[in-house]
Amino acid sequence: MTTLMEAPARTISVGREVPRPWSRRTVWAVRGIGMAALVSIGLTVWLGLWITPPDKVQGNLVRLVYVHPPIAWVALYMSFGTAFVASLLWLWKRTRSAYWDRLAGAAMEVSVVFTALTLVTGSIWGRPTWGVWWAWDARLTSTAMLLVMELGYVAIRKIPSDTDARARRCAVAALVTAVDVPIVHFSVIWWHTLHQGATVLNANLSPTIHGAMAWTLLLGFVAFSLAFVWMLAMRMRIETLSDALEGASLDLALDERRAEGGGDS
Amino acid sequence: MKYIDAGYAAGLGTLFVYSVLLFFRRYRLTRLSRRVAERPTLTDRP
Repeated sequence: MTTLMEAPARTISVGREVPRPWSRRTVWAVRGIGMAALVSIGLTVWLGLWITPPDKVQGNLVRLVYVHPPIAWVALYMSFGTAFVASLLWLWKRTRSAYWDRLAGAAMEVSVVFTALTLVTGSIWGRPTWGVWWAWDARLTSTAMLLVMELGYVAIRKIPSDTDARARRCAVAALVTAVDVPIVHFSVIWWHTLHQGATVLNANLSPTIHGAMAWTLLLGFVAFSLAFVWMLAMRMRIETLSDALEGASLDLALDERRAEGGGDS
Repeated sequence: MKYIDAGYAAGLGTLFVYSVLLFFRRYRLTRLSRRVAERPTLTDRP
């Protein structure tokens, strides 16, 4: 065995299944999205903090509107939405593929970050407007429940098991979590809440915000959505690489076992 | 103003840190996968 371990080895590529590197086009696309996200977030901050006027009721505190709702939008609709659709596509036999499972896992982790930030930025806004950091209000409580369920999904994903079992378990967990999303969305309509009603996605779909404030808010939505796409691309790549490396390290362990056993199998 | 600063710092700061972590995790795994691909198997050993 010692001879085997010390034997000089050729360092040629040996056909272990590792994902191909991103193509030049993908690299540039991801870089482009990242740069666009950076620039648009910078612009949102500049417009939000220095250019837009204060609100008649909330004064300067309204400036948090350019950060908090776009983060919540990404958390609830873009990242969780992606995880939900990808989970459905995995569960449907005709479209079942490891790609959808990886996409769901990647999107859910990003959603955890954005949902947590929704709660944090909301709490910071709540303190000066409501006088408390936290209230057991329907919108806040349902969002906190969403975060707990998303963390549950991530925990389920970490349980060691074969790929199919893990994918099925996670897809079902995503569908169960999805029940909470309409509750979060409609909570301000169904119950009397401290949290204000929807400004943009209201029942009449007529935004109750105008002028520079509306355009800055719209830019905020675009900026954070671009940041989400960049994060999802990176996280998806990490998921693909770590899955492949897990397989490769299993191959390697098997090789070493065979070597210990005399290398005859 | 301190609440506005805190809101922006928490939101943007966390996203920045998370982005940096994602970038380095991807970078590390990409390097690792290259090393694994070039690592010899038993069939390559004389």
